[in-house]
Amino acid sequence: MSKFADFSQPQRQSLPGIVVMFANTLQKSVRAFWPILLIWIVKIETLNKFFVFGGITVAILIIALISYLQYYFFTFHIDDESNEFVIQKGVLNKTRITIQLHKIQQVSINQSLIQRLVGVHKLEIDTAGSDKKEASISAISHDLATILKERLINHSQLDKSEIAETILEENTPTSFIKIGLLSLIKIGFTSNYVKSFALLFLFFTTIMENLQQFSQNEVINEDKVTSYLDKLPMLTSIAIVLGSIVGLVLVVNLVRTVIKYFDFTIQKSKQAIILTYGLISTKNTLLNPNKVQKIKITQNYFQKKFDVTTIEVHQASSDVEKVKEKDKIEVPGCTANERDAILNLLYKKLPTREKLYLPNWRKLALNSFFLLVLPLLISLILVFNIKIITWKEWILYACVFSLFSGLLLWFSFKNYKLFVSNDFIIKQNGAWDIENNIVEPYKIQAITTQQFFWQKGTNIGSITLSTAGGTISFSTGNYTEIKNLVNLWLFQVETSEENWM
Amino acid sequence: MTNFTNEAIEINELPKFEEVQLRGLHSNYLKVMLFNFSLLIILVLGGFATVFVLKKDIFSINVWGSIFVALILLLGLIVFFTKKSFKKIGYAFRSHDAIYKSGLISETTTIIPFNRVQHVALHQGFISRKLGLASVELFTAGGSSSDLKIPGLLLEEAQKIKNLVSQKINPTAERIESEPTAPLNTDSNE
Repeated sequence: MSKFADFSQPQRQSLPGIVVMFANTLQKSVRAFWPILLIWIVKIETLNKFFVFGGITVAILIIALISYLQYYFFTFHIDDESNEFVIQKGVLNKTRITIQLHKIQQVSINQSLIQRLVGVHKLEIDTAGSDKKEASISAISHDLATILKERLINHSQLDKSEIAETILEENTPTSFIKIGLLSLIKIGFTSNYVKSFALLFLFFTTIMENLQQFSQNEVINEDKVTSYLDKLPMLTSIAIVLGSIVGLVLVVNLVRTVIKYFDFTIQKSKQAIILTYGLISTKNTLLNPNKVQKIKITQNYFQKKFDVTTIEVHQASSDVEKVKEKDKIEVPGCTANERDAILNLLYKKLPTREKLYLPNWRKLALNSFFLLVLPLLISLILVFNIKIITWKEWILYACVFSLFSGLLLWFSFKNYKLFVSNDFIIKQNGAWDIENNIVEPYKIQAITTQQFFWQKGTNIGSITLSTAGGTISFSTGNYTEIKNLVNLWLFQVETSEENWM
Repeated sequence: MTNFTNEAIEINELPKFEEVQLRGLHSNYLKVMLFNFSLLIILVLGGFATVFVLKKDIFSINVWGSIFVALILLLGLIVFFTKKSFKKIGYAFRSHDAIYKSGLISETTTIIPFNRVQHVALHQGFISRKLGLASVELFTAGGSSSDLKIPGLLLEEAQKIKNLVSQKINPTAERIESEPTAPLNTDSNE
């Protein structure tokens, strides 16, 4: 190894780690006891000051003691004889985690706000297989973390390629792609509207509830606001309300994107690809091209005009039951050139769209029935029986709904395509955000075809391809063509010598 | 890429999964399926019977009559459709993959190549054991949606299949896998 550090003896985390543990435990306690704390704060006038502050001091001292003990009993080392990484921890309940080095898939070094303040890093180890044990060291200096990471990863790769020299060259990763603030701003303005709106909605409803619970006289006088809006012409007030909602959503989107992905850098080294990003807490992830199972490229109309795309890389999940966030890596806001460069890096060539497969027109018909005709019929029956709204209003709403729904249905049908080439399967779908899911045939784990009995006459059927990083399905296609594709893909999987992971 | 037209011709010459002759499950498995459904029916019947004994007055005699007739009809329908769907189930083992087809309303065919199988398990439920049946489950890395379970195999056959697949996954472990003392995973919900 390039630098010498002895990991064979059990060692503690770096000393400032106590602060991190203290902060974590404090946060947990505050979270657990917040209702009591809130009552204290509200009723602070009526309580005995000495009692309150005394209690808080004792609580903080206890937490400090606990974090010191946690620090004291947490040790880690590499057992060279059995080739295992060992973590021992626990004050009363002792836990001993052992991880076989060759099972280690990913080692990532992250930094949260507190960790950044005291200058330590968090090291997380991800293992392969159904083995759910996972280990992390929450306070370690950067130098030590890098050396340890190298030791762990090199060990796990020594088994596969017994050439240690090539790994040594890996120490100087070259910067590959850097996503600038401008791209992030573009992405922030053009994506995740629904998510941000939901967040805002949640935020405001909780705030309003809390405000109404704790103060008898409302802080915001609703009557005043409504009367102010009443004075304005109706169109203007609607515009004000809509405008402020849209503005808020955009701002929230922007702030979220920039904080999360600030200074997004992709670095390339011999064995793996390293991603670093984040404003408040820096994330550092390793991406192994062999582990990539599925790539999702998303772009909507605005983003096309701005030349930005989002790429999601789905890796083989270590936990089969639920795909973890960690296994899904998002690259926000890259240009078309950068997108191609990333794809080239991961696939060693660009996915091509060759043979095109389209769904049957019955897909549009069926979707239109369930999402357009049926809702209209139900509302018609409702209006007919219980007159909630007048007929005029119903016609107006029905027209708006039909237009909106019809457009969505038409575009989602028009964009629904499957491209098959020798090395890639690309499925495109989506009405506004157009997704392209890319899978390599040899990474398929299982193929399922499905046909309803009424589809036999029209020769229509569906197919689902399962990979270790998610599924791809194509429905209401020509069943004969689908069966031919199944035979082709089975042939490719069964003759492939390449390792799918 | 340039020889794509060659590929297109080749597709038709590839072995066709849809033309493989599928084997049906052992006829005893129909009993297991019917037994599972009849358990449900017995529970429902028992529920109604208790109500009938304790509080006869809730419904009039006519209603009780129609409930009885409906339950009998339901039982008949369940037996009918279970038999139909039993006939639909088929499986096959080719030299490189396993095929399993089932479904009455929606016909589903799942194919798992052996070189993607992570491990094989053999299950035996309570009734299956009495009838000498077992099921073989193939697990892949693609999550629970892509696992394949073939029920209603004779125990002997199931063990053979399990050994066959284990050999394909891991040729070196051959000797260990074929030992007769290999433990069986038992499952009670069958």
